[in-house]
Amino acid sequence: MSLSPPEAPVPDSPFTQSAEAAFVLDVAGQLRQVTAGLAELLGQPAAALVGKSLAGFLPLTEQQQLAAGLHRAATGEVVSIEVAVNEQPGAHCLSLLPLPGGGELYGLLRAAPSVSAANALLLERERHLSVIFDNIADVTFVLRAETDGQFQFVFVNRAFETTTGLPAAQVVGRLVSEIIPEPALSEVLEYYRTALRTRQPVAWQETSDYPTGRKTGEVRVTPVLEADGTCCQLVGIVHDLTPQKESEIRLQVSNERFHYALKATTDAIYDWNIAADTLYWGEGFEELFGHKLTENPTPFSTWANYVEPTEHDRVVAGLRYTAFETSNLFWQQEYHFSRSDGSWAMVFDRGYILRDAQGRATRMIGAMQDITARKEAENQQHLLAEKLGRQNADLQQFTYIVSHNLRAPLANALGYADLLSRVEKTSEVFDESLKNLRTSLHLLDGVLTDINGILSIRDQQGSYRPEPVALAEVCRQALHSLVHQLQECGGELRCVIPEELRVPGSRAYFHSIFHNLISNAIKYRSDARVLQIAIEATGSSGGPVRIVVEDNGSGFDQEKVGGDIFQLYRRFHPDKPGRGIGLFLVKSHVESMHGRISVQSQLGVGTQFTLLF
Amino acid sequence: MKTYLIDDDTLSTYLTEQLLRAEGFSNTINTFDSAQQALQQLVEDKDKAAPQVVFLDLNMPAMNGWEFLDALAPYEGELLGHCHIYILTSSLALADLEKSKSYDLVSGLIHKPIDTEEIRAIQSQFEEKGAAE
Repeated sequence: MSLSPPEAPVPDSPFTQSAEAAFVLDVAGQLRQVTAGLAELLGQPAAALVGKSLAGFLPLTEQQQLAAGLHRAATGEVVSIEVAVNEQPGAHCLSLLPLPGGGELYGLLRAAPSVSAANALLLERERHLSVIFDNIADVTFVLRAETDGQFQFVFVNRAFETTTGLPAAQVVGRLVSEIIPEPALSEVLEYYRTALRTRQPVAWQETSDYPTGRKTGEVRVTPVLEADGTCCQLVGIVHDLTPQKESEIRLQVSNERFHYALKATTDAIYDWNIAADTLYWGEGFEELFGHKLTENPTPFSTWANYVEPTEHDRVVAGLRYTAFETSNLFWQQEYHFSRSDGSWAMVFDRGYILRDAQGRATRMIGAMQDITARKEAENQQHLLAEKLGRQNADLQQFTYIVSHNLRAPLANALGYADLLSRVEKTSEVFDESLKNLRTSLHLLDGVLTDINGILSIRDQQGSYRPEPVALAEVCRQALHSLVHQLQECGGELRCVIPEELRVPGSRAYFHSIFHNLISNAIKYRSDARVLQIAIEATGSSGGPVRIVVEDNGSGFDQEKVGGDIFQLYRRFHPDKPGRGIGLFLVKSHVESMHGRISVQSQLGVGTQFTLLF
Repeated sequence: MKTYLIDDDTLSTYLTEQLLRAEGFSNTINTFDSAQQALQQLVEDKDKAAPQVVFLDLNMPAMNGWEFLDALAPYEGELLGHCHIYILTSSLALADLEKSKSYDLVSGLIHKPIDTEEIRAIQSQFEEKGAAE
């Protein structure tokens, strides 16, 4: 470059044509060679300039400074001074370099950067910095250390304002002691002084109350060192930890709550880590099911293996399907789960599935609840409701039947009483009507006796006390009163009941049952063949007992009769006398001793009653 | 008036028969203690000697009153207008009265025992009808 020519330039060299305002002059300041650039700057032809003094182109005020510069350059120093040039606006920078050999100097004139331009640059830079500071989320401030040990805010950024709720205008120029309340104040002043003294950054955590609430932050103050090693400013940055702190506290509180919830619940809480396929169990698991956990978490299969095998598809496979093949957040099932003693617990299990952004199941938190007792109670209630429903239907039927059977003889009695008043007392119709009135009243009385008997069975159901009844003996006694009838019709009866067999129940009821069944068999025998009755009882005194009473009588059409056979006042043999109460009583007696009775019959073949106790 | 009396209760049948006779209701009263027998006779008689009045009990074994009425359904067209069936029952159940209204052949339901007024009411209906014809 033209700034460092090794030798004095020669005339008409590239030097003289340079656009730079450069020149060669003697130590007295007389121009020897000039460039086109200088000629243009000074407004005179290059030829006219040579031999003239440079000072002549500078204002008088500058000439002394020029002389001093020339002098210094002559002694071998590189000199750079600021000068004004006649007729030219702005300051110029004059550089003078000694040329080798002495006696001559090399010079260069350049316009000095203008003050306003420099200011603009500074302002631009400051604006950039301010934008940066104001967009930093961290609170940033600058403090100046006062001689009295106080610190004054000289700058705060916007984050300071939003975090503390204090506008910058209220803070800048004020002392720290006016802004930060005690007890935090003493603490921070101590840190500031330490930073100032040690010339090292200091960091700490602090919690302070501001208009926007309690704030927790990590503070770091860095001392600003001047060129001379002194320090009178601190730059502070506060990283706001409040949200983290709050969530930390929330997490802690919820963890505590969860911990107590775990203690309070009797459920088996679990946490399924899906990636590892393991289950972490709460305390409830061992308590509920009695299994001792040798490890925790356990493999998924530990749980799966305790699920009732026939429910595996629905429960285990169903859970994995829900977790892996659906986007469901909840899963729930009721199933049987093995206890350590081999019994089955009825379990209600409900879990919440955590999924990642792609919807993949990552974890499931759930609880197994032992609902065995509740389920049993539900079943009991269901059975009770069914029983009550049946009893209610029976009662309605009973009422209907009784009212009809009570009213039939009553209606007849009323009719005959009316007729008697209207016919001749000596007539045959009068005698017949009187006889019929009496019969009707007897029938009426019979129905009332039946009702009384039936109601007494129902009444005794609650206070009934079972005793062991020797079946064989009771059967013999019942047969005793019927032997005459049986012999009259030439029937045969075979009875196979173990002597020692005893059934808990009422002796009178068993007597009535055998009596009714045998007398029915005799009454509804077939004229086509010799009556055969077989009574057989099997079972043990402690266990279930089965009694079968079978005949080869006329039987009935089971399809037509259906369940009506045991109904009160239902009669199926119009040709045979009977009130239609026998089988109703048999059934009532069997059921009041918690037994069951069923019937099989075929028209013209016979009938078989089966009783189970 | 030819009359059928269908009831398995012989005490009731005798009573109704005597009460009808006392009122001079009918010159021929056929009594049946089984609905099946009555049905058989009615089907035989329906063309030339069908009864004008039938008193039908409901509660009977083997075939009850309702079953008898159902069994008559195929002959309803031939009998309607000539043969009037009155249900005669000891039952006071309202359900029976409601059910009886669904049978066109049934002219009325009477609670046992039938009384003089009821017999006369039926008689007068037939007299009006006879006069109208």
